[in-house]
Amino acid sequence: MSASHDAPLLEVRDLKMYFHTQDGVVKAVDGVSYTLEAGETLGVVGESGSGKSVTVMTIMGLTPMPPGKIHGGDVRFKGQSMLEMTNKQLRDLRGNHIAMIFQDPLSSLNPVQRVGKQVGEGLVLHKGYRKKQAFHRAVELLDMVGIPNAAQRARDYPHQFSGGMRQRAMIAMALACDPEILIADEPTTALDVTIQAQILELMQEMQRLHGTAIIMITHDLGVVADMADYIMVMYAGKPVEYGTTDQIFYNPLHPYTWGLMRSIPKRTLDDDQPLTPIMGNPPSLIDLPEGCAFAPRCPYVAERCSREDPAMVAVEGIHASACFFSDSLDFLQNAPIYDGQRAEEAAAEGAGGRAEEAAAEGAGGHDG
Amino acid sequence: MADLLLKVDHLNKDFLAGNGLFSGRFGAKVSAVKDVSFEIARGETLGLVGESGSGKSTTGRCIIRLINPTSGTILMNGQDVARLRGRALKHFRKEVQIVFQDPQASLNPRMTIGEIVCEPLIIHRIGTRGEQIAAAKELLETVGLNPEHINRYPHEFSGGQRQRIGIARALALRPKLIICDEPVSALDVSIQAQVLNLLKNLQDDFGLTYLFIAHDLGVVQHISDRVAVMYLGVIVEIGSVQALYGNPQHPYSRSLLSAIPVPDPKEQKSRHRQLLPGDPPSPIDPPSGCRFRTRCPKVQAICAAQVPELQEVAPGHFCACLLAKPYGL
Repeated sequence: MSASHDAPLLEVRDLKMYFHTQDGVVKAVDGVSYTLEAGETLGVVGESGSGKSVTVMTIMGLTPMPPGKIHGGDVRFKGQSMLEMTNKQLRDLRGNHIAMIFQDPLSSLNPVQRVGKQVGEGLVLHKGYRKKQAFHRAVELLDMVGIPNAAQRARDYPHQFSGGMRQRAMIAMALACDPEILIADEPTTALDVTIQAQILELMQEMQRLHGTAIIMITHDLGVVADMADYIMVMYAGKPVEYGTTDQIFYNPLHPYTWGLMRSIPKRTLDDDQPLTPIMGNPPSLIDLPEGCAFAPRCPYVAERCSREDPAMVAVEGIHASACFFSDSLDFLQNAPIYDGQRAEEAAAEGAGGRAEEAAAEGAGGHDG
Repeated sequence: MADLLLKVDHLNKDFLAGNGLFSGRFGAKVSAVKDVSFEIARGETLGLVGESGSGKSTTGRCIIRLINPTSGTILMNGQDVARLRGRALKHFRKEVQIVFQDPQASLNPRMTIGEIVCEPLIIHRIGTRGEQIAAAKELLETVGLNPEHINRYPHEFSGGQRQRIGIARALALRPKLIICDEPVSALDVSIQAQVLNLLKNLQDDFGLTYLFIAHDLGVVQHISDRVAVMYLGVIVEIGSVQALYGNPQHPYSRSLLSAIPVPDPKEQKSRHRQLLPGDPPSPIDPPSGCRFRTRCPKVQAICAAQVPELQEVAPGHFCACLLAKPYGL
């Protein structure tokens, strides 16, 4: 594929994807932007209906249109717009350069095909392998992701695999063509914790070996703390906060991020405090409230919030938040872990490698 | 234990594998729950954790007699409820209620929420029609729903609200014990916190006792006084929250706790994850001796030969591992 070398690996710019239904227009994705470079992991966090899955489905060209319609924005892979691609070009990209792992491995594997055949299918389609070669390579891949006795298990059907093994097979399938981007949509939500730990470890190892960029969609803040370099928090189809993992966890700016963090039970042993849930329910995407979508549930709501819709504004470096008050130090005192020392530590430690720019700006930012 | 409410003693539940003509006589048995014993004091919350297939839900359903235990006793207020039938069983069900995981599947879509919450009162013939409706309104208010919505149907409510309806139904008969079977697993984090707070408040207001079944160790830690860890049908460790999370003794509990990702990037990256190899074995043919030995990082020859029993490793803290040091020795 012809591509300019300085363009980011994946760039999503102000993507808007609306569904036109009988009941009205559902603004499922409403202005999402991010960039992804090789070897990076972006964590996308949000509750059900926040648009995190639809965003990546749109990127992959997997949303049904109609009822879906793109209302603006662009998705660029190595500088080339994916929205303008023909179906043939997209097919060449999917599974080959960008691969995806879904939440439920049972419903995303074909029940009447042997696992080995499915894992090798991409190689036949994209790399010109013969069927036999592809099956042989599939056995190697299954072995690599830790399926015991791979040569024999490759002849099994998906129902003969356990949940963890199916997810491993999905990962083997996704990695078959050595993709540059791996999109994982809640890959461990259906799995038990000990199996989840195995799968996360496996994904990290594959990233180390191949330099794959990962987009990790999850609702589990623990999983992103473990995996992500950057985090985007989404609410009602829009990003509300974006930053490095340390920025999001140690210096969160948006009241919704605060609410999420306060909702998880603390891990201290003598903790008898009640949790602080976010009041109310997420809004319907059909008739979103005027102004900030989070305003009806926000404990710090001001008069302005129900009139104007706050834009994503960078507060320090890449750390951006869609709240009118994110740059007010007084307001940030309300944050659950506004911990200046921890943030500085994080900034100091990040001085090497990828977090460099963030750290430089972090040092100049919050001294108050 | 002071003021015992429930005592489960050597509870066993076998299911028959397969549904062929002769499987009843010759087929394999799945021992889903094996020799499970524990006690719950009045007003206490016992958390029951384990992975899928560990038998935690089966244990809960045996206690409320949704399924009949194969053997063992379940003493509630000193009465063995494992063998109750007919009227006595119906009477017992007034004392114990259950809240299910999936609020969508456990509410009848054709009944209004008022009918759903009234139904236990109708079945047990408590009060007149007017009193029942008044009680339902009060219950809805107790769980934080608008009593004016009494004539609406479950589909008109969100997931968290539906779970509140399920809780109101469980409360209708003023039970002593509520079995919460993964009550918040299907809910989003922010809603999960609302329901957990509600359960805690109701416990204080009504003096409830909970058996709280979940796979989320963070949630269990938050709500429980004591916790039991199950693996492949057996309890491998049981103790207070402080003991179990602060000083886990069984190798399975240790790796389970190390496997949960912690929502704190620095801490998470510095933690050592103790990965367990492979998947849990099939309960049709469980390993001999200790059921955990095939995945145990500390396995020894003796583990295949001898079945470990729960032994006290510290006051009130029991662990079923042959390598654990008994307390006081």
